[in-house]
Amino acid sequence: MRVQDLAQLSTRMFKTNPLRTWLTILGMGVGTGAVVVLVGLGFGLQKIILEQIVFGETLLSLGVSSTGSQGLQLTPETVTSFENNPAVLDAAPLARFPALVTYKGLTGNVFVQGVEPPYLRYAGVTASAGEVFEEEDIADTSSIMLSPATLKLFGIADEEVEAFIGERVSLRLLVPAEDGSDDVNEIIIDKEYTVRGITKEEGVLNAMMMLPELRNYVGIEEYERIQVRVDTNENLPIVEAELIELGYRVTALSKTVEQASKIFQGIQAVLATFGGIALLVSAIGMFNTMTVTLLERTKEIGIMRTIGASPNDVKYLFVSESVVVGFMGGISGIVMGVSLGLAINLFLNILASQFGGQAVGLFAFPLDFLTFIALFSAGVGYLTGIFPARRASTLNPLDAIRYE
Amino acid sequence: MAKPLIVARDLSIIYNQGKSNEFKALTGVNTDIFEGEYIILFGPSGCGKSTLMYSIQGSLPPGEGTLLIKGDDVYAYPPSERVYFQRHVMGIIFQSFNLIGTLSVLDNVALPMIFCNADRTTRERRAQSLLDRFGVGHVSHKIPAMLSGGQQQRVSVARSMVNDPKILLADEPTGNLDSISTQQVMDKIDEINTFDRRTIIMVSHNAAHLSYAHRVYYLKDGRIVREVVNPQRKQIKPVREGETIVTELEQLARLFPYDSVDTLRVKSLVNYLTQEYSFDQLNRLEHASSLFIQGKIDRDSLIRSMILSYEKGGAEIEEKEARRMASIADRMMNRADDIRRFRARKDNDDVFFSQDKLAERMKDHLIKQYRIKLSKEQDSNMTEIIADRVTGVITADDLNQRLMNGIRSGGLALSEHESDDMTRYFEKIVAQGIDVSYKA
Repeated sequence: MRVQDLAQLSTRMFKTNPLRTWLTILGMGVGTGAVVVLVGLGFGLQKIILEQIVFGETLLSLGVSSTGSQGLQLTPETVTSFENNPAVLDAAPLARFPALVTYKGLTGNVFVQGVEPPYLRYAGVTASAGEVFEEEDIADTSSIMLSPATLKLFGIADEEVEAFIGERVSLRLLVPAEDGSDDVNEIIIDKEYTVRGITKEEGVLNAMMMLPELRNYVGIEEYERIQVRVDTNENLPIVEAELIELGYRVTALSKTVEQASKIFQGIQAVLATFGGIALLVSAIGMFNTMTVTLLERTKEIGIMRTIGASPNDVKYLFVSESVVVGFMGGISGIVMGVSLGLAINLFLNILASQFGGQAVGLFAFPLDFLTFIALFSAGVGYLTGIFPARRASTLNPLDAIRYE
Repeated sequence: MAKPLIVARDLSIIYNQGKSNEFKALTGVNTDIFEGEYIILFGPSGCGKSTLMYSIQGSLPPGEGTLLIKGDDVYAYPPSERVYFQRHVMGIIFQSFNLIGTLSVLDNVALPMIFCNADRTTRERRAQSLLDRFGVGHVSHKIPAMLSGGQQQRVSVARSMVNDPKILLADEPTGNLDSISTQQVMDKIDEINTFDRRTIIMVSHNAAHLSYAHRVYYLKDGRIVREVVNPQRKQIKPVREGETIVTELEQLARLFPYDSVDTLRVKSLVNYLTQEYSFDQLNRLEHASSLFIQGKIDRDSLIRSMILSYEKGGAEIEEKEARRMASIADRMMNRADDIRRFRARKDNDDVFFSQDKLAERMKDHLIKQYRIKLSKEQDSNMTEIIADRVTGVITADDLNQRLMNGIRSGGLALSEHESDDMTRYFEKIVAQGIDVSYKA
């Protein structure tokens, strides 16, 4: 039998028995819809979390700091030696000094961090307000980023954070004396910096400026931390092991992400299980329908067999019918699930904008996942159809044709 | 000698073999069917005729024995290859049409070609031309439920022919049809046999169809009990001299299809003892009489067809005898008309033409016929008896009795012999004159 004829014969039920066909499809649709919504929720949650921490390059970076105990120091030479590793694309250092920050007469203790723009990308530093340093800001000498906790020092309420961008602060660096004593030299930077952005680092008092600007006031021989950008994902653990071997302390964000992903995979699995139960119920319903259809059409099978249909022709007819129903069920489930998810998203966003919160997408539906669901439901259709189809194909034509 | 198309040797078919409800539907069947033959499998229900047909069709594997079609053992092939025979060698029509209700008539006819991977234009052209040929081309886009039974069966004949099969199997194709549709379908099947030269194997229990076939197999209780060759059709199966001879029994089998061979032998003997005419002559005579009774021929034509020689289609009866018969028949028909009029008056209450007069005319006829003299009292009694019989007040037995009864008690006081004769004669006239058609 040719495919187009098979398609024509196996879609007859839409014309001859539309109600039952559409109800079966709807049954399958509700099942797959439940899966789509629940797994979509999992994807959405995962996306919300990962969006906060994951940036392309961040995942391929290692944070290297000195363990201190072995006297391993992070110096400009260390940076060069890291960069010589063929698997390393770049290494960006961070220097840190204690300092006093003054805003409108209020002064507090912070750490001033001197970085180059790549460091921000590698470490995944983002701004909750204002903007971060970009590549072209390397020569910037007049702006600064503050951590949210710093604003607390000045008694800035959360709602006023946005308004703080553009305010001006002054700094005094506290540099350890070079003679090895515990004395601290105070270096007064005789100008005011404009606040260009607020970071998202919670619980630390940091002020971040460009490394060359910091060098203008203090000599830097030792870095606090170096972000190493590894070329590929495969080399990440290799480089990491090498660095640990050398005695450095290494942290990788990718690990954190991996762990987060694992947790979300677990959540998704739980959600998918609930959806899967719904899908199983509808698949059983569909199986039942296919079996009843078989009984109802026994005579027709008998007729077809006596006028020249082979057992396989009969089998293909039944299987393709149930695949069509399953696939249509999948499509309708996707439509239902995605609409529901997007509706909830919209509702939450409206709610969020009413209360001044940030808009979030609680549900996410990656295209791969939807494609999978469509194919999967066709597969469920195939499975529910194959047993009735096998039975249909092995019926004795004579018994079948006499069946009433 | 041509090889037979279908050969069955010691074919037995057992349903539910090995179970408590085991049933031997067919036992030791031997048959040779030749290409181009029209075979009818005839017998009462449950005799195994359908079983034999479906076994040939490929749906019932034989329990014992062999069945070869075109020299191939169909059942040696797996079901997936056996369909080749159902696609290209055999077409089938059923008693209950078995069209698929969810497909258009055209698609129904084209369906066997769909299974053969024919493309759409080819199969639709072929289906349409067949539908046209069988007179149902104008309904090709309707669904089967919108067609009459006769139309549906012609559609299914078209379907059976769509792959141009060698053998057409028909399972009581006219069992669900009215007489006009039956005639149309039988004519089409006959045309397929005589014009397209296809082999027909038909299951039937309608004796009226037997004359279409070359040969009829009579089945009873799972066995072929008789093979009857139709002498009116030129036989395809080669007959070896002396092996099967056509006897009067074959002829009688067609006249009395439901009787056993023993009964036919009895009929043959009794016919010889009581009749001077052969079954053939009687047959011709019956045909001529039927035309006469219907008023389609007059008395002279009746005589002519009676005396005409057998070769020319007549009954070959002596002229004198023929004239005697014709004159009796003519008189009887006239009196039968009187009875009809009498009964019509009765129903219409027509007062102008008295029933008495009609009854008297009949009485006069009987008196004249039997040359008897009656007293005045007898005469009026007889008129009354005749009127009673014709109105249906008394039965034939009552009539006989009253003719013998004493005159005082309203009879004629005839002898038993006279009474029997007269009753028999008058009853023949009554039989002709009474309208027995059903009136609601």
